[in-house]
Amino acid sequence: MSRNVLDSGGCGDASEGGRGDYKDIYELLAELCKHLAGPSENHREILRHVTQYISNCPTALGSTLPFDETSILTKITHHLDSSAAKSVTSNLCSAGSQFGATGSDCAHSAGETSSAINNSALFLKFHEQLKAALPDEHQRTALLTFLYFMSDSKYSTDNGHNVGNVKSHRSQLMASTNSAFQSIRSHLLHKTSSQQQPQHSILPVNNRARNEESVKPMVSGRSAFSRMTPENDPTGGNCGVIHGVNFPSLHADGSKSLDLQNNVNDDIVQNIIYVFTGIQGKYLKKDVISGRFKLDSKVKSLNVVQAGMLLRLSELGYYHDLVQSYTDSKSGLCPLGLMGQGFVSALKKELTRYYGMVATLQEQLNRQRDHEHNTILRGNSIIPMRHERLTLMKILVWSVDALKRLQWLATIAEACQEKKGGALASTVHSFLNNGNPTVKSLVRELLLAICGPLYQMLSHWLLEGEICDPHGEFFIECLAEVGPDRLWHDKYRVRIAMLPNFMSTEMAHKILVTGKSINFLCEICEDKRPVKGRDELRLCIEENADHIFSRVADTKLHSTIDAIYLNTSKRVLDIVMGPHKLLEHLQAMRRYLLLGQGDFIGILMENLKCELDKPAKELYSYDLSSIMDAAIRSTNAQYDDPEILNHLDVRLLTPCDGDIGWDILSLQYTVRGPLATMLEPCMGIYQILFKPLWRMKHMEFVLSSKIWKDQKCNAKPLRAMGSELNQVLYRLHLLTSEMIHFIHQMQYYILFEVIECSWAELQDRVQSAKALDDILDAHDEFLNAIKCGAFLDSNSGQLCQNMENVYDGIIRLELWQNKFYEICFKELSARKEYENHICISEEAGEFGVTAERQLERDQERKIFEQIIGSYHKSLDNICADYEKAVRCFLLALNSHNDHNLQLFGIRLDFNEYYKKRDQRLCVPLTFEHMRMSIMFNGNKSLAGSRYSVVN
Amino acid sequence: MAYYQRTYVLCYFCQIVNNKFAAKSENNKVCKCYQNIKKLLSIKFKNFIRSQSELRRKKFVCLIYKCKFYVKVESLIIEAMPSEIITLQLGQCGNQIGFEFWKRLCLEHGISPSGVLEDFATDGVDRKDVFFYQADDDHYIPRAVLLDLEPRVIHSIMSSPYAKLYNPENVYLSKHGGGAGNNWASGYSQGEKLQEEVFDIIDREADGSDSLEGFVLCHSIAGGTGSGMGSYIMERLSDRFPKKLIQTYSVFPNQDEISDVVVQPYNSLLTLRRLTSCADCVVVLDNTALNRIATDRLHIQNPSFTQINTLVSTIMSVSTTTLRYPSYMNNNLIGLTAPLIPTPQLHFLMTGYTPLTTDNDQTVNVRKTTVLDVMRRLLQPKNMMVSTGPDKTNHHCYISILNIIQGEVDPTQVHKSLQRIRERKLAQFIPWGPASIQVALSRSSPYVQSSHRVSGLMLANHTSICSLFERALGQYDKLKKRGAFLDQFRREDIFKDDLSELDDSRDVVDCLVQEYEAATQSNYLQWSAKKGQEEAH
Repeated sequence: MSRNVLDSGGCGDASEGGRGDYKDIYELLAELCKHLAGPSENHREILRHVTQYISNCPTALGSTLPFDETSILTKITHHLDSSAAKSVTSNLCSAGSQFGATGSDCAHSAGETSSAINNSALFLKFHEQLKAALPDEHQRTALLTFLYFMSDSKYSTDNGHNVGNVKSHRSQLMASTNSAFQSIRSHLLHKTSSQQQPQHSILPVNNRARNEESVKPMVSGRSAFSRMTPENDPTGGNCGVIHGVNFPSLHADGSKSLDLQNNVNDDIVQNIIYVFTGIQGKYLKKDVISGRFKLDSKVKSLNVVQAGMLLRLSELGYYHDLVQSYTDSKSGLCPLGLMGQGFVSALKKELTRYYGMVATLQEQLNRQRDHEHNTILRGNSIIPMRHERLTLMKILVWSVDALKRLQWLATIAEACQEKKGGALASTVHSFLNNGNPTVKSLVRELLLAICGPLYQMLSHWLLEGEICDPHGEFFIECLAEVGPDRLWHDKYRVRIAMLPNFMSTEMAHKILVTGKSINFLCEICEDKRPVKGRDELRLCIEENADHIFSRVADTKLHSTIDAIYLNTSKRVLDIVMGPHKLLEHLQAMRRYLLLGQGDFIGILMENLKCELDKPAKELYSYDLSSIMDAAIRSTNAQYDDPEILNHLDVRLLTPCDGDIGWDILSLQYTVRGPLATMLEPCMGIYQILFKPLWRMKHMEFVLSSKIWKDQKCNAKPLRAMGSELNQVLYRLHLLTSEMIHFIHQMQYYILFEVIECSWAELQDRVQSAKALDDILDAHDEFLNAIKCGAFLDSNSGQLCQNMENVYDGIIRLELWQNKFYEICFKELSARKEYENHICISEEAGEFGVTAERQLERDQERKIFEQIIGSYHKSLDNICADYEKAVRCFLLALNSHNDHNLQLFGIRLDFNEYYKKRDQRLCVPLTFEHMRMSIMFNGNKSLAGSRYSVVN
Repeated sequence: MAYYQRTYVLCYFCQIVNNKFAAKSENNKVCKCYQNIKKLLSIKFKNFIRSQSELRRKKFVCLIYKCKFYVKVESLIIEAMPSEIITLQLGQCGNQIGFEFWKRLCLEHGISPSGVLEDFATDGVDRKDVFFYQADDDHYIPRAVLLDLEPRVIHSIMSSPYAKLYNPENVYLSKHGGGAGNNWASGYSQGEKLQEEVFDIIDREADGSDSLEGFVLCHSIAGGTGSGMGSYIMERLSDRFPKKLIQTYSVFPNQDEISDVVVQPYNSLLTLRRLTSCADCVVVLDNTALNRIATDRLHIQNPSFTQINTLVSTIMSVSTTTLRYPSYMNNNLIGLTAPLIPTPQLHFLMTGYTPLTTDNDQTVNVRKTTVLDVMRRLLQPKNMMVSTGPDKTNHHCYISILNIIQGEVDPTQVHKSLQRIRERKLAQFIPWGPASIQVALSRSSPYVQSSHRVSGLMLANHTSICSLFERALGQYDKLKKRGAFLDQFRREDIFKDDLSELDDSRDVVDCLVQEYEAATQSNYLQWSAKKGQEEAH
């Protein structure tokens, strides 16, 4: 596209024909670019390209065909006739004959010498053929002009005695003309390529027969074609100018001037070769700021063509400088680290290749010079010369490839500057997606060089679990300050910045886990067996290094890494589940810390109750742990694995003022070694979970083993006072049963529906786990589920508060009941004593009691009745408070956005006892209802949950 | 503790093991020093101690104490053992169902008829110490006391393969051997006479257990020994062990057939009085319903005692399953009964069990049991082991329900079933307090193969149970009006002066019926207040 624009641009400018006024031309160019690029913004870009192009090829602007067909024909014949060097003509003829259908036969006649007349006749004959083949006069003219110039320019540079050189050189041009012409012809005649195809393929072969540089002709041919379109043929124009400039020297025709010319040319060539390696010369100087080469203003001897060529070629020098600067560690531009060194070395390798090319050129030049020197020494005899002359044109052709390469290298290197490790690889990798196979392979080579150290680090990590990464380039890092107890969770992590973009995060994670597992096995589990698949990986990396760049992770390398990951994970799992009994420990924690072993917890509570009723400060964990041991021995816990039981211990939290033992006791599961590494982060959560569960169990214990049992046992002796106490007692019984119901439902919900269900899920996931992380994740989820279920998550604060209120009611009732029974029994014994007294006195014949005693007794009885009355009142208070607390709790449950909790609320009020007593609970779960309940609760945390429901 | 001391202790222990020194009386000290020593000794040693049987453990520790090895005793800590339960089997019926019960327990725990743990049952998760204790030679002995006034049933037990299971000291047969003649009064007064010997046994058992939780009494209320002697023992038990629970499995007579015991209404009423005032929890096993279930549901034409007793033993074993297979909840007797019994009087529980099958039942394979299925069927009256008669007024309701579900149960299913039952209003609950179906998920024995995936037992406190008492009252009233068969009662001490005991009992039972009736009303609380006031006047 850009090329077309340039061409048409050049054409437009050419038709304008202006040459002197550059400013005008520039303006016109700008307008044209605008026109061509349309309204989009990139016309400036195009303009820049165009001007660059024009400055590179200054002759591009003057290429209208100067002659008509007949005149050029005459000129050629004349030239052929007058020419001393017949070979040129014959060559021309052969070149021309190749255009024709029978041309291939004449191709071999190139080397033959024939008379000038023959030549001109041959040419005319060819012209006839051409006429038949090309009806378009204009194109014919262009072709002929080109041929003329070619022969002419060859003539001008050909000094007559080095025919071989000329021949080979000519054959190049011929080939270029040839292929160009064929393309034109096939285009014009709409012929299928079946006829031309063999010629096409023959040509390079022919050329190869004559020329050592077999590739170049094709390249130059291609480049010639790109310029050989009619009307705007820059080469043609170029030739015209060359002709114009050089013609006089031809006519001067002195061997001295020729030598001089050659020397000047060689000098220029030498200069340009210097420039290729970044050395300033006579003609070209480096711009201090941009680093580009520019023509030395002092040198006047250059013609326009040479200047243009020089400028064009100097670009290579510029890019060389650029690339070299990136390889120089002192410049501060080159990438860092080992992978950076890999990159630099790859760049250097490229440069070496480039230097090789420059050296070849230099060698040619040297040989050419030596040869000339020799010929001068030997005299002016014409010795067939095998070396062709090195011209700027030729160097241009040579440099095309190198320029492309250096340009790309410079671009890549620029993008990579001051980058390191994975970031470097990522940057380079982003160039890999190029349609151009040359570029692609270039980038691939670079990338492979960069990834060399990466592969080493990778295989070291995957197999030994070590990180050899002095420059922080690897995408996995180790935090040295993290201790072994956090090895699994925190010690290693993926360095996102250093993750090459051809490596998926998933892959990176797998790699991380693999190395981490090896470390875990070695350091924590002390299992130092080497990793399997070591050789496979090494081999795989050696053979299929570039697999890692694959877009789809299905290559052999990926599968090898996968296999190692699975292998290592399985080993970790085997070790963790086998000798280290992870599942058993998880089970033990569920049984002891989450109260799964009901009998143990029950007995423990029973045994501890005396101790725990004491103030917190009077407790010693020494006593408690011995009690716990007793509880273990007397329950089913004794059949548990002693190894597991040893982990269990009692811990006392730091007491606050006013705490009693119940508040600070906590069961603890001490984890050590590998277990600690795996489970340490969860232990805090267990600690958090244990408290409410223990408290709930405590409440149940208080209710059933204290309150209910006392009621049961005291009911029989107190039956005698039934008339006075019944009213209070019934109230007490009913309240107790209400509380027991609540606590039991609550326990059932948390223990069975939350813990047990989550546990079942955890077990499933443990069974199907492929890696340790699967288990740990499942375990984390398990704990989280319990946390939510036990109202410990962030949006259940209200519930927790309400639940505390309910518990408060229970504690108050316990205290109340203790005092109540104390008073009742006091009264009971007083009455018994009184009656006994009467009995005894009757037996003694003292006839009952004194009036004083009776009065006293009646008084006491009255006081007792009063006390009972006041107790009844306070019981009513407790009742009312408790009911309020329960209702609040139910209301909070109903308006909770967790469906399970709503259902739990329904379960708590299964027979709709509370619903009938509280209008608010009747309202279905509507937005209005929620709003009301929130207003009632006045709690912001619920407001938050409401929004989440609405949203 | 220094190393050499530890070694010393270990050496010393080796001596003890060899000498088999016995020390029985120093239990308290044992506990004390055990705690302290245990703290000091290595884990290895701890495990060694743990691996010993309880008795031997105590001996070791006691010896250490005697050596004054560790003197600093700071606090006396009494170890609580699992809440043991002592089973008392009284009379013909009581011993028969008790026998079936122990058979069943042995089967479930993998204990052979001679009390030795079977090889396959060594690593069980069950808790055997609640109902068994271990003798010195490690074989399991039931905490059971067998009492009877006539030798027939006990002899048959002692000649069965299970004879060696029981502690022979715990089997008490009246030397007189004549039985109670189906007379409550005779049983009661014989119980009074024999109380010393009987309570010797019971006390010994109670002492042998560290933290006795309660007694379970198996008896029938219609006969002589079970009802009369049972009544007496219940009275004494509640005096002597005021802090212990008394749970009874009481077999109520079959109403559908004419009993050969003519004084059955008297017996029932008198026993009911004790059950009301002395027992803490009565599981009613109604022979009427059991027979009906056997004929209607199990299609047995003439159900034998053994078949009926199998039903009973199933109920007894399943109702104790949460005690024997500890899990999250309901792991002791109190935990089991407290949520069921709101006020001390309302402690008569019904049971229901599903699915019911016998060996020759063909429907087994057709049925697929699910939790909902089981829970729904448990609420059907035809599955109840108590025949309450048709509820004409339809006002009776559940005070509380505990479903013990065994088998492969997903807790979420339970929840869904409860929702379903609530939506369909399959169960009517009391209006005066919160009530619901409580569920206890329990493991079942791995050694007993069940053909069902899920099975369930319901323990329910239902007000309609009072119809049973009403029926007993009615029969009593009929008999009493005629003054029939009172002579044999008058012969005994308790009725020597007058028959006021009968009238008192009638009042108590009548009161109980009223209480249950009141419990169907929402003003139960006010009723109690009124009752209190009435009593005051």
